[in-house]
Amino acid sequence: MASLDHLAALTKVVLNNLEYQHDWTAVQTYTASNLTRPLVYGLPPKRLYVHPDEQIAIIKAEKALGERIPQEPELEWVLPLHLSEKWSPAQFAAVFDAIEAIPPGGADKVPFDAQGNGAEWKLWRGPKRGKRILLATVQDDSTITYYWIHDGLVKPRQN
Amino acid sequence: MDAASQERRVRISRIAGRYLVFDIDDVVYIRRHHGICAVLTGTMPQNPTQNLFLSLPVELQADEARLLVDKGVGYIADELAEHMAQLTAADDSARKAYLQHLKQQRRHAQQVLDEERAKAQAMHLEKRKAAAASKAKALPPTSSSSEPSSSSSTTSTLEPEDSLFDPSPAPAAAAAPRPKQTPLPGITPTTSTALLPSATASSTPAVADTPAPSPPSYPLYRYLNARGYYTTPGLRFGGDFSVYPGDPFRYHAHYLANSYGWHDEIPLLDLVTSGRLGTAVKKSFLFGAAVEGASEPGGGGAGVGGGDGKAGVRVFCVEWAGM
Repeated sequence: MASLDHLAALTKVVLNNLEYQHDWTAVQTYTASNLTRPLVYGLPPKRLYVHPDEQIAIIKAEKALGERIPQEPELEWVLPLHLSEKWSPAQFAAVFDAIEAIPPGGADKVPFDAQGNGAEWKLWRGPKRGKRILLATVQDDSTITYYWIHDGLVKPRQN
Repeated sequence: MDAASQERRVRISRIAGRYLVFDIDDVVYIRRHHGICAVLTGTMPQNPTQNLFLSLPVELQADEARLLVDKGVGYIADELAEHMAQLTAADDSARKAYLQHLKQQRRHAQQVLDEERAKAQAMHLEKRKAAAASKAKALPPTSSSSEPSSSSSTTSTLEPEDSLFDPSPAPAAAAAPRPKQTPLPGITPTTSTALLPSATASSTPAVADTPAPSPPSYPLYRYLNARGYYTTPGLRFGGDFSVYPGDPFRYHAHYLANSYGWHDEIPLLDLVTSGRLGTAVKKSFLFGAAVEGASEPGGGGAGVGGGDGKAGVRVFCVEWAGM
């Protein structure tokens, strides 16, 4: 099957790029019956995404604590795509519906003990985390661009 | 004011396929209570400007017009049809009133012309007096016969002016009764306002409500509006809408938004370029679509976009990942 070969090759290109160019660890593919293609997930070397409201919560917590809170990286979803593809909103919705917000194994690692006092920022690593996927768009020259796609209205970061 | 705003029905004039609002109170009302700022378009036809200093009317996008109609706070009036209907319905008394109005206008024009003429004459009379005085001053010292050439030259410089207006002072006194005999000046009416019944009658549509438009981007627009977002046309960021979290006077835009069909195929390059552009201007690229067959099982998802009543809308936000 040519198309399956294509998808396998595409996934591999993204996987290698993440592992060897971007220093991701624990990179794995993820397949499911309700997914039309394999996804990739892994752990980036540093935190890739902080929601603007989470940032506010962290700053508040840091002020209360009087020290910086180290931001551990989180497991992230990656969707391998080729630039020549065309995707409809229905397809993106199907992918989002097929996954959990946190990739497999990610929930256990999180030191999730949000006991009220100043730990509100931790919620963003657990129940408050929205669904987000890195679109890894591959071009023929193996250039890969990474863009976040969020499910729902997510305000832009203050960068 | 609140009671008044509750009964208010905004008149949206459909003219040449555009949706316009002419009443400043309506403009304020829809901006304050319905999150619609639309676009001021009014300018001088003789000297159009492209800048921010535009005036009434406000032009609504088709989505905005539709929203007002759906909410029951506005109606669309097909101005051309209404105009023609009112013109053809005019009876004999209306005709007489109009002729009377025209006559009144002509009298008014005559009055203005007379005033202007009188003013001009008074001005020239004064000039002539001043000139005569200065001439009289200049003459006495030059009594010798060798001088006339210079004095005649000064008079000759005045001559053309004098000759131009010379005939006027003599009949000036006689001129006053003349206008009464001459016919009133003709005027060309530039508007048909006087032909129509009084303006108060136009607050209700004379012609049956024009059907509201249903542009393809309407579901997304309504989704955003229902969440308190303001939108402006998105051309400056290359999308359908620029989306603001509040009034654009107070906030920067959060998103540039595009609307697609549920099964529209979007080239990935579009997502990448829009995402890149959005990030460059500190915005997120939002795209959304009305969910087709929202009631079918398994299509519910987490209900992220579904909380909007009838038509579920799914939206996604794209931004650069920074890697």
